[in-house]
Amino acid sequence: MIIIFGAMAQLVPVVLEVGHFAVDLYYTIYPLLFIGAILMAMGFVYYPSLLPFGGTIAFVSFSIFLFETFLTILKVKKINFVIVSVLLANIFLFFGLIIGIILALGYSGTIDINIYQFLKAHIYLVLVGYVGITIMGMSLILLPMFWLSHGFSWKYIKSSLSILSVGILFVVLSSFSNITFFEYLGYFFTLIALFLYFYQVFIIYKTRVRLENDIYFKSIMFSFLSLLLSLILGIIYIFYPIENIFLTLSWILLGGFITFIITGHLYKIIPFLVWYERFSPYVGKKKIPMLVDIVPKKSANMQFVFSSIGVIFVSLGILNINETIYKSGLSFLSIGAIFLLKDILYMIRFKEDV
Amino acid sequence: MYSKDDILKAVSTVIDPEVGFNLVEMGLIYDAICNENMEVTVTMTLSTKACPLHQMIVQWVEEAVLRELPKVRLTKVDLVWEPVWNISMATEEVKARLAG
Repeated sequence: MIIIFGAMAQLVPVVLEVGHFAVDLYYTIYPLLFIGAILMAMGFVYYPSLLPFGGTIAFVSFSIFLFETFLTILKVKKINFVIVSVLLANIFLFFGLIIGIILALGYSGTIDINIYQFLKAHIYLVLVGYVGITIMGMSLILLPMFWLSHGFSWKYIKSSLSILSVGILFVVLSSFSNITFFEYLGYFFTLIALFLYFYQVFIIYKTRVRLENDIYFKSIMFSFLSLLLSLILGIIYIFYPIENIFLTLSWILLGGFITFIITGHLYKIIPFLVWYERFSPYVGKKKIPMLVDIVPKKSANMQFVFSSIGVIFVSLGILNINETIYKSGLSFLSIGAIFLLKDILYMIRFKEDV
Repeated sequence: MYSKDDILKAVSTVIDPEVGFNLVEMGLIYDAICNENMEVTVTMTLSTKACPLHQMIVQWVEEAVLRELPKVRLTKVDLVWEPVWNISMATEEVKARLAG
């Protein structure tokens, strides 16, 4: 979540085309979220009584983020589709947070609730409602920008977003009403929405003029292939509700789709921030490096290879309940993570005499 | 008065850091005029509306004209979105590079 918030700090003004209401508030968001997350982790593992405290601190952090985002949205004069997606995502996050704090109180025994029902609504609102819609909305800005795609229709993503919102409402409704039909209806709508989103991405891909297979392209492709695979597994799971399939599709969604879409963008966003800070003052005056020069290409490719093999092996390990394959996958992931860390440090510390 | 070519030459010192080509090669400069008062107007676009360097690029263009053409008194940049930029406006070199 911290990395998503960090990305939003950078992207919200770009997407909304207005400055932040108070960007300095992010200096309070990060430490609060960090402390909240640590306390909650300790609460889940050792001391449940810490959960309400961790949950409250995380809640305050999220609330500040929401407060800042909503006030930034208020500055927007002309609403467009992407702004609607930011607004929707943050509304879902708001309700997800309220349910989250109720959950924390339930876990600690302060109040008596059906934790499973609330957890489903909480996960769906935060993971699908906020993270999902944020990724969808942002990718519609970022993919055409980095791929230089033009002249495509937005109708599929517009339908996707509407259908997904209805799907989320049905799943949340099922959490409180105990009507299973609503839950499946919600999942069905979600699947339809994701397929429409996927088709929209395919259209953007088809209209791109930038054809380089750089680390960004590879990461995004792996990410969307993971999304497609998890969707297919999701359909299989509806007919064969085996736990392994559910765990595998969840892992692919998290480790393949979300992780790779984030790492891919790190290789774009970090060089940009470094370039903007260190080299942009010299534009036109001196010869300066380009964004692509800041990316360590070989190491980035190694990161991609190890991480992608890791995701595949872990998936196979979970699906076949094979600990050896699972652990070998984790080893690949660990090496990939080391490369990623090394690359991030390289890019952050990139200096060149100009 | 400076010619359009003079102005384009000045603007060509501004690069798009994402693709590594200058704005003229990218086909982002639609027009450039210098009037008798030595005031330059550059009509340009960007490859995407969501470009995070939106304001910076405009500023770089203004600075480039003033820096490279010393007699210019004032530079104005008209950022337009019609016609929408597309790759056919770029040079063959840019097209070849982007094609991988």
